[in-house]
Amino acid sequence: MIKNKFSGILIVLGFFLSACTAANAASQSPSATEESIVTEAVSTLAPEAGECLACHTDKQRLIDTAEHVEEIAEAESKGVG
Amino acid sequence: MAPLEPWEKVLVDGEAFPQTDHGELTCIECHLGANVSDKGAAHEGMVISPSAQPEIYCAECHEEESAAFPNSLHNTQAGYWTAINTRNTVEGVVPEGHDQLQEMFGNHCATCHTTCGECHVSQPKNVGGGLFTGHVFEATPPMTRSCTACHGSRVGNEFLGKNEGYPGDVHFREARMSCVKCHEGAALHGMTDASEAIETATPQDHRFSGAEDPKCIDCHAEVAAGDGIDMHERHANNDTLSCQVCHSVTYTSCDGCHVAVSETSGNPYFETDATYMTFLIGRNPIQSEDRPYEYVPVRHVPSSPTSYEFYGENLLPNFDALPTWVYSTPHNIQRYTPQNASCEACHSNPEIFLTADKVKEEELNANAQVIVNVLPASVDLILAAMPQPATHNELVTTSCTACHTEGIREAPVSPESHADFLDEKCSGCHKLP
Repeated sequence: MIKNKFSGILIVLGFFLSACTAANAASQSPSATEESIVTEAVSTLAPEAGECLACHTDKQRLIDTAEHVEEIAEAESKGVG
Repeated sequence: MAPLEPWEKVLVDGEAFPQTDHGELTCIECHLGANVSDKGAAHEGMVISPSAQPEIYCAECHEEESAAFPNSLHNTQAGYWTAINTRNTVEGVVPEGHDQLQEMFGNHCATCHTTCGECHVSQPKNVGGGLFTGHVFEATPPMTRSCTACHGSRVGNEFLGKNEGYPGDVHFREARMSCVKCHEGAALHGMTDASEAIETATPQDHRFSGAEDPKCIDCHAEVAAGDGIDMHERHANNDTLSCQVCHSVTYTSCDGCHVAVSETSGNPYFETDATYMTFLIGRNPIQSEDRPYEYVPVRHVPSSPTSYEFYGENLLPNFDALPTWVYSTPHNIQRYTPQNASCEACHSNPEIFLTADKVKEEELNANAQVIVNVLPASVDLILAAMPQPATHNELVTTSCTACHTEGIREAPVSPESHADFLDEKCSGCHKLP
């Protein structure tokens, strides 16, 4: 009888705990979603900033890839402009 | 200014720039292009100078400046066209050849056009471009890398004392003032009249159009007759002289600029015949209520009837409509100058006046209104001049010659030596009591 009563309490407790766990999981899901949004936002921006800035902050890479174009069109000019 | 290396022009300060307001934006938000590592693909469709379209890229934060900038002379270059059109237009009609002038302008003059970014984040394209300080925007443009990078050969050299033998401007030499201390942002951005709405403001057609801005007395308000300086007592309150007549020193003039396109490289180029140092006082060619001075320093500009002949014949048929010795505000102000050292240094010194013998024969007609025909009287003559009688205070006419030419009402007849003098100059010597 005592054994049955104890088993009953365990079942109720287990059911209660499982219900709590489910509720807890449900309440956590929005924050999990928020986290994933933040992560996505960062992952969208980071490579963009990274690709442009990674090159344009790297002196050696700019030296290696720079094209030498004739910059001053009036190099053949004579006298004071 | 030494040109930057190609890599140096586009090097971004990875630590400083992201900390700035503009650094909060992604690169692509302003410059477009693509977020990929391949250089060619990354730059495809890129906008190199977003601020060339301030209404799109700047106005959201810088509303007033962006709205005004289309009227700014830095944007319109209207001063060039005012001069070109005046010399090209005969009796209000623009003759054929305007297309040729447009082509000339595009090749040689339009390069001086500037954008917001070419003052605030990079050197002007005209001098090779390149970021100032790793793409960090400068609210106040750095003087030598921005202002005098373009305005260098005359204003910059004068102001900074780079003309050998002539001191730099006292405002720089003594006070280390930069250009924007006097030339404030509002004027530089085209906000020329605070009383006018930007949308209806009349765009300037020349840098000397409208009120003087800056004006010396805005800071030097104490300069006036009665300030204890004898020269100011005699000259400061009668609008005869601009401040620069007494307070600037020798400056640069140029002759004969001609433009063409190189047969070898296909690049546009120019050649000037001569550059030389002058200090000459002429009659004010743009005398107005805003600039009432009778005498101003005049600088020779390198315009010539044949300046644009590469693009066609006789493109400036009305060349004589404007002088080649022009109103000038030399940027080398000094408290003490050779011409203000004494009365005689100016009054008995024909060397510093633009007399006809100093003007090329072919330019005499163009400069007729600027040439000084009658030099200021000597100090001795002025001091010996008979003062006007007290009764002249009540005269309603200012025409001295009406009575003094023939001796009407027993007025003393003016001597023959006064034959060239004009009515309005009599009181310069013959003072009222």
